[in-house]
Amino acid sequence: MLKKKNIALTLVLFLFIGSFLIVNSSSIKANEKYEDTEIRVLVWRDAHSKAVKEKVHEFEEKTGIDVIIDDLPTQSLTQKMAMNLTSETGKYDIVAVDEPYVPKFASYFINYSEWPQPKVLADKVDLNVVPQGAVDAGSWQNNVKGLPINANVYMFTYRKDLINDTDLQNKFKEEYGYELQGPKDLDQLYEIGKFLYNEKDQFYGWAPFTVKSEGATVEFMWLLRSFGTKIMNDDLEVVLDVDKAVEALAYYNKLLEISPPSKLSMGHPETIQNMESGNLFSTLQWPAIIAGHENPENSVAAGKLAYSANPAGPGGAAAITGVWTLAIPEASKNKQAAAEFAYWWGSKDSGKELVKAGMSPMRKDLLEDPELQKRYPWYQALMENLSGDIAVHRPRFPEYPKVSDEISTYFSRVISGSMEAEAAMEEMKEKIENIVKEYKNE
Amino acid sequence: MSKLPKKTEETSFKRKSLWFKNKITPYGFLSPALLILGGVLLFPLIYSFFLSFHEWNMASGEAMKFTFLDNYIKLFKSESFWHSVQLQLIFVGVSVSIELIIGMAVALFLNKDFFADKIVRALLLLPAFILPVVSGLAFRFMYNPQYGAINWFVQKLGFAPIPFLSHPRLAFVAIVIQDVWRMWPFMFMIMYASISTFPKAPYEAAEIAGANRWQIFKHITLPLLKPSIVIAVILRVLNALKAFSEIYVMTNGGPGNSTTILSLFIYKNAFDFYDMGFSASVSYILVIIALVFSIFLVKRQFDF
Repeated sequence: MLKKKNIALTLVLFLFIGSFLIVNSSSIKANEKYEDTEIRVLVWRDAHSKAVKEKVHEFEEKTGIDVIIDDLPTQSLTQKMAMNLTSETGKYDIVAVDEPYVPKFASYFINYSEWPQPKVLADKVDLNVVPQGAVDAGSWQNNVKGLPINANVYMFTYRKDLINDTDLQNKFKEEYGYELQGPKDLDQLYEIGKFLYNEKDQFYGWAPFTVKSEGATVEFMWLLRSFGTKIMNDDLEVVLDVDKAVEALAYYNKLLEISPPSKLSMGHPETIQNMESGNLFSTLQWPAIIAGHENPENSVAAGKLAYSANPAGPGGAAAITGVWTLAIPEASKNKQAAAEFAYWWGSKDSGKELVKAGMSPMRKDLLEDPELQKRYPWYQALMENLSGDIAVHRPRFPEYPKVSDEISTYFSRVISGSMEAEAAMEEMKEKIENIVKEYKNE
Repeated sequence: MSKLPKKTEETSFKRKSLWFKNKITPYGFLSPALLILGGVLLFPLIYSFFLSFHEWNMASGEAMKFTFLDNYIKLFKSESFWHSVQLQLIFVGVSVSIELIIGMAVALFLNKDFFADKIVRALLLLPAFILPVVSGLAFRFMYNPQYGAINWFVQKLGFAPIPFLSHPRLAFVAIVIQDVWRMWPFMFMIMYASISTFPKAPYEAAEIAGANRWQIFKHITLPLLKPSIVIAVILRVLNALKAFSEIYVMTNGGPGNSTTILSLFIYKNAFDFYDMGFSASVSYILVIIALVFSIFLVKRQFDF
């Protein structure tokens, strides 16, 4: 009896001491607010970063850190980042790096494993909560160079209201012999797009991305992977299969037949305009832009869209990723506060609030949250496209910008009819091989 | 006797002080401007010249390496460079010529008094005050085959929309049209300022002599206008050689490389590839082209 009493007493004592320690430790954290600390953050500009700007005051109140956010369009951001990193000014304490630029600037960042533990916030973000595709995107030479913050991937977006229309279903079955449904492969995508295409009513089956830019490179890479080939492998060997590339371009020309009149100079503004004015059946789209398509104030397509894994080609399904990673420059003088800010941005609690303000999350627990999935129907497709089988990363190579320029140039030449596909692909391959050779010689 | 050396000393001091006042003080006043000029003009000019003899990829984190003429050899071997030079020369030649013809024609036409003449002349100048990037963006939307104002007219006339920015040749024509629209008023401004000061006597004499309009233009107006034409062309050529933002926002050098003129080629190498040494060498070629144009035209002006 006495023994039992002693055990009970000991347990109560442990419980008491444990509770005291927990309460005490959290109060220490609350008291360890920063004083006179200011960090400068350089991020890209879209709905995601807008949401962070809107909610950053919560972080400032919680930690006492003042945050100055400079948001810029992608290209200007990269240039500004390059200037600041290379001159080691330490002006920015944390920068957002677009996936293809991670290898180029990796040497200027500290590895995520070396990021300091938080002082005010509870924990460092565990990379296991981030889809593997996003972690890979933020890595270079087996080191994760920062915290992936935007699980960005091109997603197939189409009008489900048209697919569910009974009249259209009947007509389609009569004409093509199978059920009208969300396209599962590229042949179906073309056939359904063609069926719905109506030049007179200005309704188009597909919105391409063709204006000379990184977007055009991404479009062509998606196409190549869907047809079972790619530009280069992990060993930096140019492995483009010209025959497959020619086949892919022939297919793309078919898609262009059912595209809007500005099909050869289309970028984001044109696609957004067409989608949100209800003139478009399908396209590939980034999550941050999808939030706009689903806003009933701007878009007649809101509530009428469905999202799925990208239609498969002869080489399978492919989805190009465009993950943004928060990285801390070696030259930063406020690494601790900068890391604290990234942990806040990447935490589940603040993520839930940021999502409401328009952020596209990177955490699996947010992307898989049934309530959020209901509210943001593209989360599921986003998870699928980020899976190892489908996610396609652009070549991991410091001279990637030169490669990208060649790809967009030759892609543009073929689709504008100024060069034959085969000759263009051969020439492009040779030029990329020269870029790689030059890089390796260095 | 003893006073004389003192006076000489005083005079010498006064002389020195006067010399200082006259010779040194002006430079003191000029020095802030000279410092700024040196900082923003001379230093970049000298530094980029120095850079053009080095291999330096700004993003690589490696120190610059002296390579002497390697960058120049590389660019002279580059097909893309020669393509850009060719496009640049055609762009400058075509757009400046058209602007000169329109500017001169309108200046001659409007060189008379009519109702609201001052308002009309002022309104005509408006495009020249629009920022190139704004003009480029506006034209990009106006050229849009779906929503653009230009294609709306084309369709109203019963034709199919023209994909101006999608076809390599059309895209080049499209950037020339944009430039002509924006800059012909500049030519008009200079021509009109010159024409409005012409003496009347030669014209009256020509009329008495029975000269027709073409003869009057060829033998009186054109020679009188020549100095203004030279100045206007020099200014416009220099300006057209650095055309960038409007083309960047309209086509970004595409489709393919069909509108990648030299300034875009330099930008791409400097800020997309971070190849600073190479792009500095291309910049110097652009400077040489500008100098050759200017020297040639200025020499011609002295012949008049």
